[in-house]
Amino acid sequence: MNIEPTELEKAVLLKVTGRMDAENAHEFEQACEHWITHGTKHLIADLDGLQYVSSMGLRCFLSVAQKLQSGSGSLILCGLHGLPRQVFEMTRLIGLFPVFDTTQQALATL
Amino acid sequence: MDPPVKRLTLPASAGSISAFCEFVRGGAVAAGVAAREFEKLDLVLEEILINVARYAYAPETGVVEVAYAPAGDRKLRVEIADFGRVFNPLEADPPDLSRGLADRPIGGLGVFLVRSMVDSIDYRREGDRNILSFTFPVDPAAAK
Repeated sequence: MNIEPTELEKAVLLKVTGRMDAENAHEFEQACEHWITHGTKHLIADLDGLQYVSSMGLRCFLSVAQKLQSGSGSLILCGLHGLPRQVFEMTRLIGLFPVFDTTQQALATL
Repeated sequence: MDPPVKRLTLPASAGSISAFCEFVRGGAVAAGVAAREFEKLDLVLEEILINVARYAYAPETGVVEVAYAPAGDRKLRVEIADFGRVFNPLEADPPDLSRGLADRPIGGLGVFLVRSMVDSIDYRREGDRNILSFTFPVDPAAAK
């Protein structure tokens, strides 16, 4: 898994590519926490290049979203498809996040 | 399981999961599982194996054996065995999927996902072994 952050005016965009599994999911959570600690309210996860996510990854998405929400922020998901979209749908987590097809659409809402 | 069965034994640790996934993928290819389903099969294996890695032997260490064989009716049968303490992950309560973000529990989704993706799954204790056995459909779209 690779995580590439980009600081934008109203949010930090995290482009996540590859596979998020039991061994590396904590890296995503740590990356998000770094930005939360630095005062970022809105994180946008671009998941267009994410091929795989297991329950360990889902826990991290949920945990980060809960932290951001408690500070009136949000974790926004973009580009979900394939297996990651299926697991977000099966677990009904998809309804708990703002979800957009593209990062442009997400940015337009902030 | 009836032969031909293929088996692989490795340390029960998170670091073994990708090797087990690669091993079982050989069986999936031979059984004719569609390539688009490989990641689902990886996920089922990861969720089961991470539980074994964390709970079967802790704080000691041990091994886990994964075996697979083609099953009749266009399915792949996989068995995961450890010699750890008695543990049936299928007894866990299903997660409450109706909660909102603030009070949605963080855990419990792994076994739920496994159940959603396999054709059937069973636990049995055989001597000093926990054996979790599942069948994975070659073509889930046709099976469900």
